[in-house]
Amino acid sequence: MSFITLENVSMTYGSNGTRTTALSGVSLSIGEGEYAVITGESGSGKSTLLCLLGGLQLPTEGRISISGTDLSTFSADNLAGFRGRTIGFVFQAYHLLPYLTARENVMVPMAIDKKSSREKIERAYTLLESVGLSGKEERLPSQLSGGECQRVAIARALVHDPPILLADEPTGNLDSATGDQILDLFSKLHGAGKTILMVTHNRWNIERGTRSVLLRDGRIAEDNPLRPVHRASRPAVPAQAGG
Amino acid sequence: MNIRKLAWKNLFRRKSRAVFTGLGIFLGIGTFVAISSITMRMEGAVRDKLDKFGANILVTPRTEQLSLGFGDISLGGTQVAHARLTGEDERSIRSIALSDRLRMVVPYFLTAADTSGKNLVWMGIRPKDIVESRPWWKVQGAELSAPGEILLGSEAAVALDKGPGGTVESGGKTFRVAGVLQPTGEKEDGMIIAGLDDVRLLAGSPDGVTFFEVAALCKDCPVEGIVAEIGTKLPGAKVSAIRSVVESRKAAVDQFRRLGFGVSAIVLTIGGLMVFVTIMGNVQERTREIGILRAVGFRKRSIRALLFWETGWIALAASVSGGILGSVAAFAGAPLFGAERGRIEVLPILVGTAIGLALGLLGTLPPSRRAAALSPTEAIRSL
Repeated sequence: MSFITLENVSMTYGSNGTRTTALSGVSLSIGEGEYAVITGESGSGKSTLLCLLGGLQLPTEGRISISGTDLSTFSADNLAGFRGRTIGFVFQAYHLLPYLTARENVMVPMAIDKKSSREKIERAYTLLESVGLSGKEERLPSQLSGGECQRVAIARALVHDPPILLADEPTGNLDSATGDQILDLFSKLHGAGKTILMVTHNRWNIERGTRSVLLRDGRIAEDNPLRPVHRASRPAVPAQAGG
Repeated sequence: MNIRKLAWKNLFRRKSRAVFTGLGIFLGIGTFVAISSITMRMEGAVRDKLDKFGANILVTPRTEQLSLGFGDISLGGTQVAHARLTGEDERSIRSIALSDRLRMVVPYFLTAADTSGKNLVWMGIRPKDIVESRPWWKVQGAELSAPGEILLGSEAAVALDKGPGGTVESGGKTFRVAGVLQPTGEKEDGMIIAGLDDVRLLAGSPDGVTFFEVAALCKDCPVEGIVAEIGTKLPGAKVSAIRSVVESRKAAVDQFRRLGFGVSAIVLTIGGLMVFVTIMGNVQERTREIGILRAVGFRKRSIRALLFWETGWIALAASVSGGILGSVAAFAGAPLFGAERGRIEVLPILVGTAIGLALGLLGTLPPSRRAAALSPTEAIRSL
């Protein structure tokens, strides 16, 4: 059954003189529990697609619905609330707040919740433990490695236990070994029932998904089901970032 | 973790920016509180001086101008009193409903009498009233202490060529000069001041009173009410408030206050602009952070609340510290403005804190709206 649906979605930026079409007539249906990997060249519309899927912006044409709810019916504030409950974001550059500890970063989405401080702290500890960061809860991002920062970001994305995780090049800043660990974590989350949409350039990451979507010039060029490989054997790549 | 805590944490991340943001408010509130406190002290000093020095209500017999003439020949005119004042009237004045606001009621008796060959005016006053009603008198020699003693005004002393220890003759009696007043620039310089009963006897009017001076305690006192009450008790008397001194001093204080508040308003406006500019810059710098917060579910109002809390903390700290500094400056500088040090005024600090907070939040209004309006996608450029 379709969980996320895009119907003839187009996205155009700019005004009359400088119009740029990022997506054109994209229709896509993603089922609950799928692990879709979106690939494409730079400028193919991956980022725009992810923004639209995450409800960060609305399309200029077409319709997007998540779990049967048309996103265009929401006001900007209600869309933010929906996003907070339904979608977890993981960014390539982690986007942790540098002045907060790992625990506090995980607690940021809960800052607007009416939960007790104790509940919030317990939730943050549980999530950090689940991503393998026990004992590092009170460290600042500057005291953590890249892989650890990404784990904190994943824990933050899971705070409200959203059914959908959107990841933008989550291993882009990590060395291959650390990247693998992060991908293992995504596979684990997928195994736990999360719907995952991951934008990536890395062909090894594609193999982790259950579906591969290739974008070209703002249109879907290929859409293929995959057999998930939980531990892809890939050639060793020299480390670029600490993990 | 909540928005308040998040704002608090962010302050310590950018300490110098926080200090700069609060600087305008700090200086503005400091100026406002200092000027308010000094003005309050000055007003208090004016009131204290009015309470301490002299009367603020004068009770005289009601008079009418009577023209004298015969046919076309004018013989000038004279003032005719409707009723004379007596010692009994003092009790009437002291019996008004607002009598608790009366500090003193002093009867005077004036008469002209030949004194050692010179025609001079005698002023009768109870010796015990002199200290309170004429505290600015400086006497060379001794004060009045017994019947038969007199003080000479400086010009009267010259006219009579007498000094302390001398004697003068009037009405068949001999009076001893206890002291000579130093020049006051007032009418008493040409008068002879003696005990009330001595002057009454000299004029043959044992219970007469020419006028009463009434001093009302003037801190928030209803002078008009007291005047009206005395007027009711003494229908034949003219009761008037002496306003000129009060109003000229108040005018000076008001002028100082207006100038001070003008300066405060300018400094506070600059402070508000500093808040506006720094918070706007802050929003610009934190575009990505705001985008992340929006992405993780922060609503527009949550973003606004975050910025308001941040500025609120700064404005509160700046206002309170500015208020304390202003109070200390007022405490130290009050004597320079003719006011006594007194105590630290709390009201200006409270008002200043409220103004500082309001100003900080007002200055944050446009940047917070701008921040809330940021699209999460524009904010997170890496997506």
